Amino acid sequence: MSEKNGPNPAQPESVPQWTDLWRSFIESSRQVTDAWSSSMAPFMLARLLEQPAGFAAGNEMSEAIEKMAQGPRLADVWDIDRKMALVFSAWMEMRQRLASYNAVTAAPWTEASKRFMDAMSAAGGGNSPLPDWRAVFAKWSEISNEELIRNQRTEGFLQAQKELLQSGLKLRSRQDDVAEAASTMFGVPSRKDFDEVTRQLTELRREVRALNRQVSAQERGPRSARIKAGGAVVKAKTQSRSQ
Amino acid sequence: MTGDNQAARFFSDMAANAEKMAKATQLFGQTRDEDVAIGTTPKHLVMRRDKVELFRYEPMAEATATTPVLLAYGLIGRYTMADLQPDRSLVRALLSKGLDLWLIDWGQPGRTERWLTIDDYVDDYIDAAVDRICKETGHDRITLLGICEGGVFTTCYAALQPEKVKNLVLTITPIDFHADTKGTAAHHGFLNIWTRSLDPEDVDKLVDTYGTLPGEFMSSVFSMMTPMRSLTKYNVDLIDVVDDEAKFMNFLRMEKWLADRPHHPGEAAKQWLKELYQENRLVDGSFELSGRRVDLTSITAPVLNVFALDDHIIPPDTSRALGAKVGSTDYTEIPLPGGHVGLFVSSKSQGKLSKSIADWLIARDAVSASEG
Repeated sequence: MSEKNGPNPAQPESVPQWTDLWRSFIESSRQVTDAWSSSMAPFMLARLLEQPAGFAAGNEMSEAIEKMAQGPRLADVWDIDRKMALVFSAWMEMRQRLASYNAVTAAPWTEASKRFMDAMSAAGGGNSPLPDWRAVFAKWSEISNEELIRNQRTEGFLQAQKELLQSGLKLRSRQDDVAEAASTMFGVPSRKDFDEVTRQLTELRREVRALNRQVSAQERGPRSARIKAGGAVVKAKTQSRSQ
Repeated sequence: MTGDNQAARFFSDMAANAEKMAKATQLFGQTRDEDVAIGTTPKHLVMRRDKVELFRYEPMAEATATTPVLLAYGLIGRYTMADLQPDRSLVRALLSKGLDLWLIDWGQPGRTERWLTIDDYVDDYIDAAVDRICKETGHDRITLLGICEGGVFTTCYAALQPEKVKNLVLTITPIDFHADTKGTAAHHGFLNIWTRSLDPEDVDKLVDTYGTLPGEFMSSVFSMMTPMRSLTKYNVDLIDVVDDEAKFMNFLRMEKWLADRPHHPGEAAKQWLKELYQENRLVDGSFELSGRRVDLTSITAPVLNVFALDDHIIPPDTSRALGAKVGSTDYTEIPLPGGHVGLFVSSKSQGKLSKSIADWLIARDAVSASEG
C-alpha cells in the first residue's frame, strides 16, 4: 500500500502522544513551582501560611480532630465535640459541592478534546504533514481556552462555584467556632476579640482625625477669612483703578 | 513527511523541551528573592499614616510641568505594576519626561485593616496625602493619576474635593460596572459576571469570615479569567524564555508582582463588590462616602481617561462611561491597544501610555501658567 493512499500512520498516534505531552507539561509545571517556592521561601512561604484553609480539602480538619482528641478533658468538652461534629458535617457538604463543581468544570475538556481531534484530523488529511508541536499546542490552547471561558459564563458553572464558595465559608466559619471555643477554654483572646479591638481602634482613629480636622479648620478660619478679606480689598482696588 | 519522520521529530522536540524544563527548574532553584527586584525607581518617604506611605520620586529630568502628580494604585495588587523594571516602567517614563511624581502606597493591609472603608481611603488617606503634597510644594491643587481601583478612589476624591484637584488622569478605571454587557469579546468582563452571580450575603460572609477579601482568593479569580494562560505559564511559557536570561528575569518579575497580592480591607471590599460591582452606584450617582453623595458632574478639573482596548478585567465600555457623566468641559479619552496589565508592562506599549499622559499634562500646565 502506498503512503499516499493509505492511512497516515502518525495520525492516530498523535492523540496519545499529545496526551503524554500535556501530562508531562503539567508535571514539569509542578516541579518548577516547587523549585520556585523553595527558592523564594521567605516571601512565598509567608503567603502560603495565609492560605484560606476553608478552601482546602479537609486535612486541617483531620488534624484538628486529632488535636482536640488529645486535648485536656474539661467540663465543657462536650460543647467542643458538638462543634467538631458541625465542622465535620460542613466538611462533608463542601466535599459534595466540590464534586459537583468538578463535574461542571470537567465538561468543557471533553468538548475541547473532541474539537481538537477534529482539527488534528483535518490538519493531517491528504498529503499535508502534521504541524510541529508548537502549532499543535497553539491549536489545543486556543480551543481549550474558548471552551473553558464559554463554560465559565454558564449558569451551571456560576451556580456550582457559588455553592462551593458558600460551603467553603460555612466550613471555615465552623472551624472558627471551634477555635473560638478553644480560646475561651484556655483564656486566650480570640479572633472575635481581635476584630472588636481593631473596630474600636479604627473608630477611635476616625474620631481623633475628625477632631484634628475641625481644630485645623477653626485655626485656618480666621486666617483664611483675613486672607479672603484682603483679597477682596485688592480686587476692589484693582477694579476701582480700572474704572 | 513520513509517519516515522513525524514521530522522530515529535520525540526529538519533546527531548529538547524536557531539557529546557530541567534547566528552568535549576534556574528557579538558584534564583533568590532579592535577585528579582521590582519597584526600584528611587523615591523617598515623606509621610506615613497607619500602613499607608506617601513617597516622592527623585526627579530624572528638568521639570516640564510644575503641578505635582500623585499616583494612586488600587487595593487589589500593588503599585509595582507601574514600575516593574527600568525599561518597563510608567513611573520612570513620566519622571524622564520631567513630571514631579508622588506615590501613595497602601502597604499590606491585613485583618487589622478589616474595618477600613473606601471613605477612609478617599477622605482620609488621599486627602492627607494631597494636603501634604500641597504643603511641601506650595501648590493649592495637584494632579491625581489613578490606576484601576485607585482610579475610582481618585474619581471620588475629584468629585468630593474639586477645589484640590487640578487635573484628573485615569487609567483602566471602571465607572459603569455593568457596561461589560455591551462588550463583544468573549473573554472580557468575567469579573463583573462572577461578582453579580454572588448574593450580597456571600460577600458579607466572605469578608466576615476572613476579615478581608483574601489576596489569594482574588488571585484565583484572576487566574480563572485566562484559564489556559494560567495552566501553561510554568511549562510552555518557560520553554520560550529559559534560554534568554533577560526574558527569564522579565518572567520572574511579572510573577513576583502577581504573587504580591495584598488582602483587600474587609469593609472596603464589601463596598467595592456590593455597592459598585453589584449595585453600580457610582455611575447612577447613589454612591456615598462619609455621608456625601459622589456626584460625577461635580468633577470640574480637566480629565484624561485612558483605557486598554483588550482589557479583560476592566472592559473598555466600563471606563468609557465616564465621558457622559463627568462635569468637566475638558475631557479627553485615549483608547490604547493592549490588555489590563500589558498596557503598563508589555514592551509594545512602552512609551505610548507615558507619552499620552505627559503630553496631556504638560499642555494643561502650560495653559494654566499662561492664565496665571
